[in-house]
Amino acid sequence: MKKVVALLFLAIIINYPKNAISQSSICSNFHKEHCDAGSSKDDKREFLYNSQSRSGLFSQGSISKLRCVIYKGMDYRLSLCCETAGTQVNFKILDAKTKEELFDNAKNENAQQFEFQSNSTRNLLIEVSVPAGDATQAKGKPMDGACVGLLIEHKISERSGFSKY
Amino acid sequence: MRLKSLTYILSASLSLSLISCGGGDHDSEELATNDSTKVDSIALTNESDANSVIYQVPSPSEMLTFVKMVGGKNNKNSSFLNPSDNAKNYNDAKSKAINFGIYGCDLSYCSTFEMGVEALKYFKVVKQLGDEIGVSTTIDANVAKRLEKNVGISDSLASITDDLYYNSFEDLQKGKQGSTLALMVAGGYIESLYIVTNLNKFDAKNPATQRIADQKYTLDNIIEFMKKFESEAAVAEVIKDFSNLKSDYDALKETAVTASSSAKGIKVLDGGTTIEITEAQYKVITEKVKTIRNSYTTVK
Repeated sequence: MKKVVALLFLAIIINYPKNAISQSSICSNFHKEHCDAGSSKDDKREFLYNSQSRSGLFSQGSISKLRCVIYKGMDYRLSLCCETAGTQVNFKILDAKTKEELFDNAKNENAQQFEFQSNSTRNLLIEVSVPAGDATQAKGKPMDGACVGLLIEHKISERSGFSKY
Repeated sequence: MRLKSLTYILSASLSLSLISCGGGDHDSEELATNDSTKVDSIALTNESDANSVIYQVPSPSEMLTFVKMVGGKNNKNSSFLNPSDNAKNYNDAKSKAINFGIYGCDLSYCSTFEMGVEALKYFKVVKQLGDEIGVSTTIDANVAKRLEKNVGISDSLASITDDLYYNSFEDLQKGKQGSTLALMVAGGYIESLYIVTNLNKFDAKNPATQRIADQKYTLDNIIEFMKKFESEAAVAEVIKDFSNLKSDYDALKETAVTASSSAKGIKVLDGGTTIEITEAQYKVITEKVKTIRNSYTTVK
């Protein structure tokens, strides 16, 4: 009888943390907490948070693709960050329709932040990949998993000359 | 007898252990395969889903803020918003979720356009419907206090209501309420289009008119986003409505942008297309948006 109770207790213990963890989202606000490379105090441009920003759990070495809308007449700032110590996130920007490559940070000194305008409104495909490295281990996170954040910010481009609008 | 019961509990419990320990990758597998988790995150990917794409949709407030910034800041008119009294009549899950999105957008409009009293009114219905669809933790008493404290400060009001939208989004995602999330996003989106087409009369040179035309891209994304949940009848119905609107958007002319441009100190991405909209097409889209939106808000 005591053995049965002990086994029952053991089974409950084994179950409990697993179920509790599966209810939580491991990386959900990572981009809000870690990707704000931050404008310097001298930088008065007011970028606004763009709701297409995302965080997620990445398998190191894999690629994720995110499609988002960008508008002509706006400035955008993309900031990427990864919890993997000392390593950088690779990302490419492609035109979602033509698949034409528009930017590759590997060809631009592995920049983790990129500011741009587009001369047309369009859907972009952002391909993000994470190199292997030492990730912080957390309960419920796979060994090769790393939290990655993609922070998108926007503001209306400055215009020159007179305009009715 | 007692021992027998305990044995049943034990075997059930051990079975659960085996299911949850079905491999060290359980959690990663959940992230990779569970649609309701995947909608709002850059999910863990592997070889098999390397080609899957996550479709993003800008929040309604982004379009409203844009319209205000390009010259519409005096467009304070709450007469066409969904009356808050309607909320008590939304009894089914679909109308609650869609109208949660619609009221959320109305709240955002009132906040962005400095209509503090109306914002508080819409906050109450957002909270009521939020409680009913399971995002009550996001909308606590502190949010109400912050709103009341900032009634006259539009930037603060807009920031608070933006947080409310993003946090509701996160709550529904974490709670794996994918279809509710899809309906909320759809409601917020159609209401933002409805508000802007009410505020903005056709003017080919007005950036707000162009922004309406450019919604073709967002509409494409929102339909793809909802398709992950189309097994739910309510979502499938909304996809049908939005696909109907998409057919009008697909008729708009697209012209390739061939010229390169430059701007001081910032990279410019060349290429793409410009969408052109005529006054007649603008009217058709405005009417279609109105019909779809009213079909969601009208109490049957």
